[in-house]
Amino acid sequence: MKLLVCVKQVPDMESRFKPDSRGVWFSETDLAWRMNEYDEYAVEEAVKLREQLGESCELTVLSIGPDRVGEVIKKALAMGADRAVHVQDLDAAGKDPWQIASIIAGYAKEQSYDIIFTGMQSQDRGSAQVGVLVAELLGFTCATTLVGFAFADGVITAKRELEGGLKGVAKLQIPAVVTCQLGLNIPRYPTLPNIMKAKRKEIAAIPVTELLKEEPLAATTSFHPPAKKGGGVVLEGDVGELVEKVIAILKDKTAVLR
Amino acid sequence: MDFELSQDHKVLQDAVRDFVNKEIKPIAMKIDEDHYIPDELVKKMGEMGLLGSYFPEEYGGAGLDMLSYAIVVEEVSKACGSSGVLISAHTSLASGPIYTFGTEAQKKKWLPALNSGEIIGCFLLTEPDAGSDAGGTATMYRREGDEFVINGGKTFITNGGYLGTGVLLASYDRSLKHKGISAFIVDLKSPGVTILKNENKMGIRGSYTTAFAFDNLRVPVENLLGQEGKGFNVAMDTLNGGRIGIASQALGIAEGAFERALAYSKERKQFGQAICEFQGIQFKLADMWTRIETSKLLINKAAWLKDNKKSYTMESAMCKMHASETATFVTKEAIQIHGGYGYIADYEVERMYRDAKITEIYEGTNEVQRVVISKLLLS
Ligand SMILES: Cc1cc2nc3c(=O)[nH]c(=O)nc-3n(C[C@H](O)[C@H](O)[C@H](O)COP(=O)(O)OP(=O)(O)OC[C@H]3O[C@@H](n4cnc5c(N)ncnc54)[C@H](O)[C@@H]3O)c2cc1C
Repeated sequence: MKLLVCVKQVPDMESRFKPDSRGVWFSETDLAWRMNEYDEYAVEEAVKLREQLGESCELTVLSIGPDRVGEVIKKALAMGADRAVHVQDLDAAGKDPWQIASIIAGYAKEQSYDIIFTGMQSQDRGSAQVGVLVAELLGFTCATTLVGFAFADGVITAKRELEGGLKGVAKLQIPAVVTCQLGLNIPRYPTLPNIMKAKRKEIAAIPVTELLKEEPLAATTSFHPPAKKGGGVVLEGDVGELVEKVIAILKDKTAVLR
Repeated sequence: MDFELSQDHKVLQDAVRDFVNKEIKPIAMKIDEDHYIPDELVKKMGEMGLLGSYFPEEYGGAGLDMLSYAIVVEEVSKACGSSGVLISAHTSLASGPIYTFGTEAQKKKWLPALNSGEIIGCFLLTEPDAGSDAGGTATMYRREGDEFVINGGKTFITNGGYLGTGVLLASYDRSLKHKGISAFIVDLKSPGVTILKNENKMGIRGSYTTAFAFDNLRVPVENLLGQEGKGFNVAMDTLNGGRIGIASQALGIAEGAFERALAYSKERKQFGQAICEFQGIQFKLADMWTRIETSKLLINKAAWLKDNKKSYTMESAMCKMHASETATFVTKEAIQIHGGYGYIADYEVERMYRDAKITEIYEGTNEVQRVVISKLLLS
């Protein structure tokens, strides 16, 4: 079995974001970077399957971006991936989900993976498109928003989160792409001995130009903070009056009392 | 020159931070109140590899370097100074000398269990009448056949309560002063070892500080660490490395307090504005941060020198001295920024203030660090 897990490096969400000079994305100056949180669950699930299947199985981690994405690659290797592919791209943030998916599919199509794991979405762009597009491009089956995963006898049992807290169960034939929701598992800590072992694992570097043949289909035209809202309304009066005012506002401005 | 951590060090820092935020930070207050670090946490620190960071993999260590170790102690101490010193004393004071001075057989025998955290190590130098003047060691040993027999007592031993593996200093002839001292690896579960007490302290209350009596403690001759009569060198070299650990502990405590003080200064409003708008508070923050950054630079340099096998005695003394004085200064100012709330136990800076003080005292008081630094300047 061959497994692939795709990880993205995103800014620490506690950061203070400022628009970049083009006004179409955030400025990267002074940001601290982390592994996209959804991808941590994807890595954990992939590593668990790798452990379940044993030596006959190989898990590769792939990330697209500049040198700094080496950090998330090394983290995934320390969590238990066997080898890594770094698609070197100085402008990954400037590419749309279609191009990112094309790059991944461009690499994966030569590799005959059985299962590809991705996060459900990224914390910064949040398109939730990359995983499904990869499946489409490769002709793989696909299930999204996984909150449960099992693999036996060549079939994936995927528990999916649906609207309103409902859960659905899908059975997938492989090859397949699954996208992972937060809470799917408990991602392990990379231990110090495993961080050391990760240093000896292979990281293959591939220039993005070798894999990307597609033009973008969508473009981000503006990145800006939300407009400042006016001050809130302060209601005054005794309790009876306050209740009436609140009910009037709820009727007028919202659907909750209709 | 490059002031940026390598990617490997960043991965490590991120992993340890995650571990600390989930496993230690939520219970740091309880560790202080209970005067006890839960066994479960010690076990998890072992599994995470925090107790054997810089020793080679062949001895069960993680195989990383001194800078990694400094990062581990710093990150843990941001949340809990007691857990920080457990790691520091265990790693640099017990495993450290066994790794540096031990024979191959000794390393193979003792290090794996220490590095995995299955056994917690300690360093037994200080005695009631031999503190800064370690040459005054009055714990005596004599040889009887294939054994050394040790009699005497030690005091203030960090991690002593775990009764694990100790590196113990004893003399065979007090008139020889430091030339009569030898170092031994001892199993503190042996007959002849008595715990007199575990001290009740101002800070780092989760950490054991143990007084021992030794009554005919018998250790096999193969447990002699280094050459006979060279124990004082073992002790001095050990403390040299240990100071980087204590400096990192102090730095972590300072950073933990700074983080809280900065956040509080933005939240607390007086005279119609956040107190961080007052220049009096701003200047405190600037002084605190500058000392934190200079401590970090000194620690990184000392760790780098040790990793590159250059002499680092002066730098380790300087980083220990400066970081510990930073810790007492920053925690004191953090309380001041919190006003009355800072004096209340719920706000954690109160604990950090108590935890900080010891870093100016152990592994050589700061007066002793100044002696070390000035001696080297004048030699
Ligand atoms: C919580 C805790 C944990 C400890 N852990 C350990 C441990 O794990 N292992 C271990 O062996 N020891 C440990 N110690 C002991 C510690 O290292 C000693 O307390 C320290 O070295 C000082 O010795 P002392 O207490 O006897 O003070 P003293 O040496 O009596 O010093 C008293 C004062 O005199 C000053 N002074 C002494 N000599 C000079 C000088 N030449 N010039 C200028 N001033 C001087 C000192 O700086 C100090 O201010 C620990 C102590 C504590 C409190």
